[in-house]
Amino acid sequence: MIHRLRSLALPSAVILCAIFYSSVVMAQSGGSYSQPSPVQVAAAEPPREIPEADLPNAPLPAQSTSPQQPSLADLGFSTAQTQADPKLQARLNKRSEMLKIHQRLGVITLAPMVANLITGPMVKAKGKNGQIITEPSTANLDFHAAVGGAAAGLYFATASFAIFAPKIPNNPKHGAIRVHEALAFIHGPGMILTPILGSMAFSQEQNGEKVHGIAAAHGAVAVTTVIAYAAAIVAVSWPIHLKFWRKS
Amino acid sequence: MKRLLSVLLPGLLVALGTPTMFAQADSQWVADQSTLTYHMSHPMHEVDGVSHAARGKGICHAGSCSFLIAVPVKTFDSGDTNRDLHMLETTRGAQFPMVIVRAFFPQAETAEQWIHADLDVQFAGQTAHYAKVPFERTQQGKAVRITGTIPLTCSDFKIDRPSFLTVPIKNEIPLRVDMTWNQQ
Repeated sequence: MIHRLRSLALPSAVILCAIFYSSVVMAQSGGSYSQPSPVQVAAAEPPREIPEADLPNAPLPAQSTSPQQPSLADLGFSTAQTQADPKLQARLNKRSEMLKIHQRLGVITLAPMVANLITGPMVKAKGKNGQIITEPSTANLDFHAAVGGAAAGLYFATASFAIFAPKIPNNPKHGAIRVHEALAFIHGPGMILTPILGSMAFSQEQNGEKVHGIAAAHGAVAVTTVIAYAAAIVAVSWPIHLKFWRKS
Repeated sequence: MKRLLSVLLPGLLVALGTPTMFAQADSQWVADQSTLTYHMSHPMHEVDGVSHAARGKGICHAGSCSFLIAVPVKTFDSGDTNRDLHMLETTRGAQFPMVIVRAFFPQAETAEQWIHADLDVQFAGQTAHYAKVPFERTQQGKAVRITGTIPLTCSDFKIDRPSFLTVPIKNEIPLRVDMTWNQQ
């Protein structure tokens, strides 16, 4: 009887061992790691189930959702860091939109500015025998004044999009933007002074006088303004990495 | 029969004991130091944004490991406030303030030089899955240093690529991970 019992127990013990062994091995190997697959986006293949507590807008849970998976609450971030802020997002969106317009208008403004640097000296055209014509030709002056007016208009429109863009609190400025803004203290007053000095210079020439005093600085102020303005564009784009110059 | 039993029984006990003997013990890991760096490429700009604010925790249990790494989007610093704010806007960083990475890999790899992790990355309100991303593991005393690159792209997270002078940035924004972990 005991012999028969043993003969039955032995094979069943072996089978039980085999089942236990295979279950332990399978648990360790983790089936999901056996098949490599390329990068997949959530839309193409739903990712592994993520606890609701980890979704960006979800409130923080009091503790881990599963003892085997750490949760965001375990990492000790403050609620202020993890909570969504739709108002800030709206401000950022508006700010970016306004600064994009600022950027486009800024580049466009450079064209009439440079055009005026070219037409400026033409206003002081020389006569046949080399003397300076005190009364400039109407065509040149009108063109110079019109382009100057356009440059000024575009310039102040460009500036207004930066000035009135929403400010983001607790965000001390650093980097190239500081140089960009510092240069505005040169080209800003320059853009106000240049047309005033130009008007004074024109008035003096109209009166048959040689341009003198502060009005004589009209050209120099204009050149300084355009250089500072162009430098501001370069500064905000710095460091420029001209990769396309290199062969791949 | 008795003799057969006396031979088989120790063998059976060994067979039963073997898997439990080799099974790795449960372990918990906490990130000690972290440097996450995203790289943005444009024909006129090469930009790196760095954050040291990532935190992480990992649990290894029953042969597999689950790690969670999170970092606030606004902590990435590219060296220019204006660019960082634009990045925050483009990635909807105020609406979805955290980048959350969940990594899954076999526990056996915690002792190897390379870990190949399946990653779920939550960013900008989207979740993308990256399979078998390699990370190099370096033992540094009691700590373990993990380095690797997650091949993120703008399109994976439905991010409109910012442009400069009408030329958009490259779609690829790889995230370099350099973290030191300590076992608890």
